[in-house]
Amino acid sequence: MRGTVWAAGLAAALVLGGQGFPTQAEARISLEKCVICHGKGEFRKILVDGKIRDLFATGDSLKGSVHEKKTCVDCHFDVSEIPHRARPRRVNCTHCHYKGNAEGAPQSDASLDYFGSAHGTAIARGNPKAPLCQDCHGNHQILKAKQEGSSVAKGRVAETCGRCHIEIYAEFKTSIHGVAVARGIAEAPACTGCHGEHRIYSHLDPKSTVYATHVAAQCSTCHESVSIMGKFGIEADQVATYRNSFHGVADRFGSKTVANCASCHGTHDIRPSSDPMSKVNPKNVPRTCGKCHPGANPNFALGKMHVDARKKESGIVYYTALFFKYLTIGTMLALILHIFLDMYGRTRRLRGEK
Amino acid sequence: MSNTENRERKEKLVNEEIESALSEEMKGSALTEDPEIREKIRRRVHEEIEREIRIRTAAERRAEERRRREERRKERRHEEGEMFQRFNRNFRFQHMVMFISVILLILTGMPLKFPEFVLSRYVVALWGGIHNSTLVHRIGAGMLIYFMVHHMLYTVLSRDGRRDFILLIPMPKDIRDAAQNIRYFLGKAPEKPRFGRFSYIEKFDYWAVYWGCVIMIGSGLCLWFEGIVLKFFPKYFLDVAHEMHSDEAMLATLAIVIWHFYNVHFNPDRFPGTLMWWHGQISEHEIKEEHPLEYEEILAKRSKADAGEVVHR
Repeated sequence: MRGTVWAAGLAAALVLGGQGFPTQAEARISLEKCVICHGKGEFRKILVDGKIRDLFATGDSLKGSVHEKKTCVDCHFDVSEIPHRARPRRVNCTHCHYKGNAEGAPQSDASLDYFGSAHGTAIARGNPKAPLCQDCHGNHQILKAKQEGSSVAKGRVAETCGRCHIEIYAEFKTSIHGVAVARGIAEAPACTGCHGEHRIYSHLDPKSTVYATHVAAQCSTCHESVSIMGKFGIEADQVATYRNSFHGVADRFGSKTVANCASCHGTHDIRPSSDPMSKVNPKNVPRTCGKCHPGANPNFALGKMHVDARKKESGIVYYTALFFKYLTIGTMLALILHIFLDMYGRTRRLRGEK
Repeated sequence: MSNTENRERKEKLVNEEIESALSEEMKGSALTEDPEIREKIRRRVHEEIEREIRIRTAAERRAEERRRREERRKERRHEEGEMFQRFNRNFRFQHMVMFISVILLILTGMPLKFPEFVLSRYVVALWGGIHNSTLVHRIGAGMLIYFMVHHMLYTVLSRDGRRDFILLIPMPKDIRDAAQNIRYFLGKAPEKPRFGRFSYIEKFDYWAVYWGCVIMIGSGLCLWFEGIVLKFFPKYFLDVAHEMHSDEAMLATLAIVIWHFYNVHFNPDRFPGTLMWWHGQISEHEIKEEHPLEYEEILAKRSKADAGEVVHR
């Protein structure tokens, strides 16, 4: 019986699908077969550790997702007989998702970055807990990242990452960025805003966007922009003042130990300085500075942190800069004038003028 | 008696040798027949021999070397005349310590002031990264502080130091000199002002360095030991120190590169620079030109001393 069905299928494939692609009719046949078992609501498996793996999947599972037009075996292509004897392997997305594919997947190699990332290398080392594509993007209900319901959409990506990074998620959720994301502010960064999408590395890896020497550049992509910061009433010159401070200069020249943005403001728990839980709240400044400057006391908090000597608000620093500016200009003008007069006199005497 | 006999015999031998060498070398030349020239050559050879005998120890050899150099210099540039000692060894050592430390400080400090300038990263890389660069900056700072302490002690304890310090105090004459010098540049005054040991230009340099050292060392120490400073002062105190350190560094560098370099290197009288910082000597020609009052003082002192000697006899 099974043999004849296969023979018929093979004949149909040869006759109808001359190009080798399954037709709509064929796909439906395959789906119908799968739902014989997977369409039952109670179809699930109890794993050794007691967890239950839900194996329910019907024709509606893919509805509305980007893979709406695909069928079961398009992804679960190692299922060659029904019922399958072994557990099908995890779906390998790169079967279709590469540049130059003929399956209608986006023509992009962006996902290849995953294989060098912290997650990809963990998988390669055999870490069973490390995530594959489907762990973040979802199984059957995969949506484009820009679509709101997607598990990697800005509003939901933190939750998705938080499934494994639960403590960081808790910190982020109440931070200024987390609150802003929850409010639906488009400019606010979720996890991927700072860490990148597929190219996520450990912060100790020099390739990472949040490596010690890259943090300032990463934060400044938004915080340097007057048009973004202006919307929220945040000063955009905080980046410039940092870059001109000793911390910023040493950071630019590659110091890994000098303070970057995150050293003082925190990483996932960034809060406005008015928040008493903020690391840069005046009350907490001694402790924050004390991480590098042992014995820091409340004097550390007296005075503006991001000082711009060219601004009048800086007070005494501004007047010091002003004094030295005019001292330098005045002195140098007088000295250069003296030099030029000297040269003028020499020229006169060389010409024999009196 | 045998000693004198011996010497006479030796002298005779030498003379014979000279004679034979002369007739060998200059056969046929009319000049050799001239007894005057013969006599001259003979005298010269004797001098050489005596010199050879004199040079016994290394110290003697060095002294001899110096004497020869001096003779050669006099032959080459007889117009320069006698050399006067202008700066003593101690003073030259201070200057060397200072300029080495200032060069180190500028090379390690300026990249911090202009981090975006294209060469800055290479200058930092020269020391092997920012951490080494800051270390070299502190070594330079230590040298500058040592120089400052050394110079203060020198000013107080040394006779030359006390004399120079008093001569370096600005006087009303300096303002008159400056005015006359500028009129001289413009052709309004017939003569250059007559400077003493230190002209108003040198006095300005000295006090500029004094001011610079006080500001730079003061603010630099605050930044170096920021933990101690912040125990007693608020953070904006350090911000002021940072601003002063950065701005005064700029002023000092400009003053050195433009003003000091013009006066001692690019000035047509000096180009490409003299070795006064090394040997501390000034020629008669130059001292008459640049420090006529000091020259007169030296001469007066000398003639007084000579007169005193005569009287003493």
